Amino acid sequence: MKLFPDPSGLAAQFASDLFEILSNYFPVYFTHEASDNLGATRDDLSRALMHAFCSTPFFEPFAIPLLLDKLSSSLPLAKLDSLKYLDNCISCYGADRMVRHTSAIWSKLKEVLFSLSSDQLLSSWSPKDAEKNKNQIMSEAKNCLKAAVTYIHSSDRDLFINLILLDDDIVNNFHSVTIEEKSICSSPQKLHQLQALGSVISILAESSTYFCTRIFQAHFTRLIDILVNSAGFESQHLNICNGSSSGTVNYGALYLCLQMLSSCREVAVTSQEEFAPVKSANTWWLILMGKLEPFIHLLGKLLTIDSQPIQSAVEQEYVSSAMKGLLILATFPEQCSLPANAYEDILLMLTSVITNKYENVHLWRLSLRTLASIGSSAVEFHDSQKEMIYNRIVVDKIISLAKSCDTSMPLNLRLEASFEVGTAGVNYMLRVARSLEEAVIINIFQVNGRTECVEYVECLMDCYSSRLLPWLFTSAGVNDFALSFAMRLWDEISDLATLDRIISQGLLDSLMMGMKFLVGVCTEEQQSLIIQKACSTISSMLSLPVKSMVHHVLSEDDELVPAHSAQDKALVCMLSSVIVGLRPQTPVQDMTMMINLFAVFLLNGQMPAAHALASIFNKYLHNSEFSHENKLDKILDVILGRCFSIVLASSNSKISHSSGAISDNANCSDSMSGSVGSKVDILCGLAWIGKGLLMRGDEKVKDVSMFLLKCLVSDQNSVNVQPYQKTQNDNVSSDASLATSAADAFHVMMSDSEVCLNKKFHAKIKLLYKQRFFSILMPIFLSKIKETPVLTTKLVLYRAFGHIISNAPVSAVITEAHQILLVMVDSLAKLSVDIQDKDLVYNMLLVLSGMLMDEKGKECILENIHIVVSVLTQLVSYPHMMVVRETALQCFVAMSSFPHSKMYRMRPQVLQAASKALDDKKRAVRQEAVRCRQTWQSFA
Amino acid sequence: MTVGMINANPVVHERPERAAHPHAAALDALDVFDTVRDIKDPEHPYSLEQLSVLSQESVSVDEKLGRIQYLQFFWGHCLHLTIACRITFTPTVQHCSMATVIGLCLRLKLMQNFPPHFKIDIKVAPGSLANEESVNKQLNDKERVAAALENPNLRQLVDECLCSDHPSSY
Repeated sequence: MKLFPDPSGLAAQFASDLFEILSNYFPVYFTHEASDNLGATRDDLSRALMHAFCSTPFFEPFAIPLLLDKLSSSLPLAKLDSLKYLDNCISCYGADRMVRHTSAIWSKLKEVLFSLSSDQLLSSWSPKDAEKNKNQIMSEAKNCLKAAVTYIHSSDRDLFINLILLDDDIVNNFHSVTIEEKSICSSPQKLHQLQALGSVISILAESSTYFCTRIFQAHFTRLIDILVNSAGFESQHLNICNGSSSGTVNYGALYLCLQMLSSCREVAVTSQEEFAPVKSANTWWLILMGKLEPFIHLLGKLLTIDSQPIQSAVEQEYVSSAMKGLLILATFPEQCSLPANAYEDILLMLTSVITNKYENVHLWRLSLRTLASIGSSAVEFHDSQKEMIYNRIVVDKIISLAKSCDTSMPLNLRLEASFEVGTAGVNYMLRVARSLEEAVIINIFQVNGRTECVEYVECLMDCYSSRLLPWLFTSAGVNDFALSFAMRLWDEISDLATLDRIISQGLLDSLMMGMKFLVGVCTEEQQSLIIQKACSTISSMLSLPVKSMVHHVLSEDDELVPAHSAQDKALVCMLSSVIVGLRPQTPVQDMTMMINLFAVFLLNGQMPAAHALASIFNKYLHNSEFSHENKLDKILDVILGRCFSIVLASSNSKISHSSGAISDNANCSDSMSGSVGSKVDILCGLAWIGKGLLMRGDEKVKDVSMFLLKCLVSDQNSVNVQPYQKTQNDNVSSDASLATSAADAFHVMMSDSEVCLNKKFHAKIKLLYKQRFFSILMPIFLSKIKETPVLTTKLVLYRAFGHIISNAPVSAVITEAHQILLVMVDSLAKLSVDIQDKDLVYNMLLVLSGMLMDEKGKECILENIHIVVSVLTQLVSYPHMMVVRETALQCFVAMSSFPHSKMYRMRPQVLQAASKALDDKKRAVRQEAVRCRQTWQSFA
Repeated sequence: MTVGMINANPVVHERPERAAHPHAAALDALDVFDTVRDIKDPEHPYSLEQLSVLSQESVSVDEKLGRIQYLQFFWGHCLHLTIACRITFTPTVQHCSMATVIGLCLRLKLMQNFPPHFKIDIKVAPGSLANEESVNKQLNDKERVAAALENPNLRQLVDECLCSDHPSSY
């Protein structure tokens, strides 16, 4: 309700009576649960009452005394409410009415602000609550003071400021700060007083230019003098380094100075347009300028109190304060910014910390962050002069750091510095990007066999692609530079000598990764430019008959191209990384040629070619050649068919061997279909293509997975025939390795990859594809596992199924818990023998522990508790991986909450396992064992 | 306690910050100390560490000298590693009859939390107790320890001391 403020109206007449009724409700006392259907909370009621209090200025004579009275209440809640109400009332009742309460309000607020820490009322609460309450009350009191300062005007504008500045307590406080000898206030009480004083000053100073000037006049010069004198700045070369001497700088004075500085910056920012008179008249600005030089000098000195790399907390406090001061000074808005030379001084100071003081992590990080904020503020204020200075002093220096191959500074720090400074603004970042690009190109050009140079390029590429590119792309939306970089890389590659150097130095991998990222951020048009360039480079340089590949897909003799030269491989690898990064909509020329090329290289066991094919089929890259018919599908069929036949050819040949064919055939068939090694590679490549299809949700993934399954059980055949043909050991082992790699193929298909087919590279990802794949394959695997009598085959099946289970969403696995639990537990037991399966064992154990947490899974485990416990006890002494032991013990701890009647029989077994683990090599396992033992011992 | 408190006004120290373990996984004195630091005093609601009954310096784990080789003749040679752990504590007053209870708590907790081949010596700090020698003897006598733990009253007292609710105790 908002009553009409008629001075002789009803509201005025009955205000007293009305308020008497209202005031009985204050402070609101309300303890109902929130469960009633009205849903009213104490806060709601309190807010409603506050609006009632503020509804008419006629309440002023009654409300303000009441609120001020309640401020000294011992209840924190009442205190908090009074502050909130007072805050609102001040703004509602208007200056005229409030003026007469000014001194009363100030004295009450002062009481709250300065004496809160010694309040006994709070000590009865738990320390955490007390702390929370205290902070709340402090912030409300500050708000209230702010409201009072802004709203209560009078004819005498000095009224409030005089009241505060000449207040005895404030004067005393200032005095005690300035005579304080200790470096950081010795007691929390003192610190609290200092903070309170600081906040009062900054609230006052932030409110208007006039107040700010008054405060500067009163204290600033004196504080700076104290600081400068206390640090003994008469001597030019002060040895502040030996620890204790930092104590001579008066912390309180420093703190107050910083508060004043930050609030005058606030004033400057808020009153930007009317700022012209400030510089001319006698204002805070002139006072600040008068003391600027010694102050910056002092802050700079504070940065150097760090001779030892590990600083004490006190020194860190000084250093952060100094940083804060420099940051504020350097980020004044344009109209009243510092003289250019002071700005330069600050930047030079910080830059020299970056280049020289990198052993001191705290200082180094802090100054880096400060530099970045200074730079971004210059950009924010559109201050071209400052930007120029920043470019000249900071960016140049940092870039030269990153470029030089040999300085004492660690490379990762140099790169971090470049990146952080770059984040200050897009233009800076572009400069950094360009310099890194330059460095990469130069180093490729002159890689001279030194390993550190190779590492250097790798680091540069990594930093460029994983930090700079995403930043520039997401926060600035710039990607022209990526296009130009990619083009330059292709230019470099087209030089045969450079290409050889790249290959021989092992730079190919990092360049490929970089190329993927570069292409990934480009737009479709840019990408098509890159792919055109890549294609033309390839077709002019490749020693294969590229032109003949344009029309027919995989003619029979293509795969018989003998071992390709290293250059060809490198070129195809680079081309494949372009393909991996493409967007689905990018038009691509010469698609048939490329697919053919990749298929040939895939049949030769080149993984990058498989990645490229997988990306093509996943994104279903289109162009005009393919638009009218399902040509791409047909090509896919052909490629898959060829892969299948080659992999199978070996198996068949083996079977024909084992059934008594002439053993000379072995050589012949091997030369026909490649070595076992390349067959393993082809299987892996098939897995990648399968992954691409799976992620898109293509039906053909079934063909791939069925084929992989066939490979899994293939060595069953050979084992069966082994008795008849003892001499074919190598074939058996090759079959086994084929089966193993087929099992690993399922891992490739199900797990997420950084290399290709992810969001960054614009893969098409169907929702829940993992879950779907899991539920399709689960029954097949279960039946296969059941009907396999041979242990080795079973092991391979377990491995493949384990990959599927551990990568599928846990919730999906848990819904099938009753079917797969036994298989899972059995495979845990069987797989724990081989050290190579340790990651798999760990992942499956995690799935099991997930089941333990779920109600349904718990039920299922309870039904098979004996076998689960015995496998877990086996895993408690798993020798290959510490986390497996630890997790197994954690599973036991979780099981102790199961129904007693089912679990008590397990107790001796569990306790025995746990006490064995007490003697473990690793501390974490020992601790977990103690916990497990304790829970199970008290379980009886 | 039927009689009045033996030390009614102990000096309580603040819980110090827990030192992080060094990276080495081998068992060290800090491990042992971490196990026992939170045992509650039988008389007061403070931990032994807070009352300065124990400190990290009072624990020593001697792996080198403590490795005793047992030659077991029945099954040929068999190496058996034993790690010795020596722990001393300082009762708060000279005539503290709680010293044996504290010692018993230490022994039980260490027995629970370390494997059985761990030899544990528990001693009262030299000069801190009037009947130092007899207490030391009592605390390191297996049979007397076992007998003491069979006493239900004593056992309950010990169990209460071991139930500390500090999260990092294990």
